[in-house]
Amino acid sequence: MDVAIEQIGQESRELVLIRCRAVTEEVREIADFVKSRAGSLTGTAEAKRYEIAVADIFYIESVDGKTFLYTKDRTYETAHRLYELEALLKTRHFLRISKPMLVNLMKIRSIQPAFNGRFTAVLSSGEKVIISRSYVKALKEALKG
Amino acid sequence: MEWKRFLVNKLILFFMLSTLITAAVSLIGAAFGGDEHLGYGDFLTPVKYAALCMLPTLVTYARRELSPRALLLRKALMLVLLEGVMLFIAFTSPAIDTNSSAVVLTIAGSVLVIFVLANLFMWIKDSAEAKRMNRDLERFQRTYGETEA
Repeated sequence: MDVAIEQIGQESRELVLIRCRAVTEEVREIADFVKSRAGSLTGTAEAKRYEIAVADIFYIESVDGKTFLYTKDRTYETAHRLYELEALLKTRHFLRISKPMLVNLMKIRSIQPAFNGRFTAVLSSGEKVIISRSYVKALKEALKG
Repeated sequence: MEWKRFLVNKLILFFMLSTLITAAVSLIGAAFGGDEHLGYGDFLTPVKYAALCMLPTLVTYARRELSPRALLLRKALMLVLLEGVMLFIAFTSPAIDTNSSAVVLTIAGSVLVIFVLANLFMWIKDSAEAKRMNRDLERFQRTYGETEA
């Protein structure tokens, strides 16, 4: 696939156009990447595709090789791997808090101790997720900005 | 936690315990029985004790993160095993008078008190850390915007 970049004037609307023969998984991944940079991710729930605003995602979890996006009241499956999302959403305040989980730091209501140097993040939805001991240092550094 | 990393942590704990038990035996021995003669077999005593004391900690292993309640249950199990190990050591040691129920109760009570205090101190330390993190979190969310659900 060739890549062409065309510079446009301030008055024109920016657009990423993919010209392809078929909408393959690879094309979808590229589109998802562009959307994530623009602030949304594609997820599926009950066999339907949805655009989910990154700011609405509370946490992302990998379970048995599948990746799930959790909003306040819904769960979506995404084709992305957790490490891909970690890299994609670094600038959007998502941080890894345990091996299978990324959390949106803007959705944490409070942090509580949870034995053995681990902590619990209480989300603004009321849900609680565990912050693994090995990720506490990174969390502290991230919160200091 | 990965099994390999967990095992490495336990090995570190084992060597730390061996060193500390050797130091403790040497200090207590020098204070209360400086003229005692020991055989070569006694050199293995700290190693045996360290291995026995490390065993109860193995119950805290989990491939996935345990919930606070599940961890609390595992800790309770660890305490029961630790009591068992300490009483086993006491009952197999000729130097400890296990015919006296006061001695046995003191050993069991000491293990319980030390276990509770160690966990209480850890909890207090973690609570202080959580307080600092909550302050930083508040500042972070104020700086970067939307805090709503």
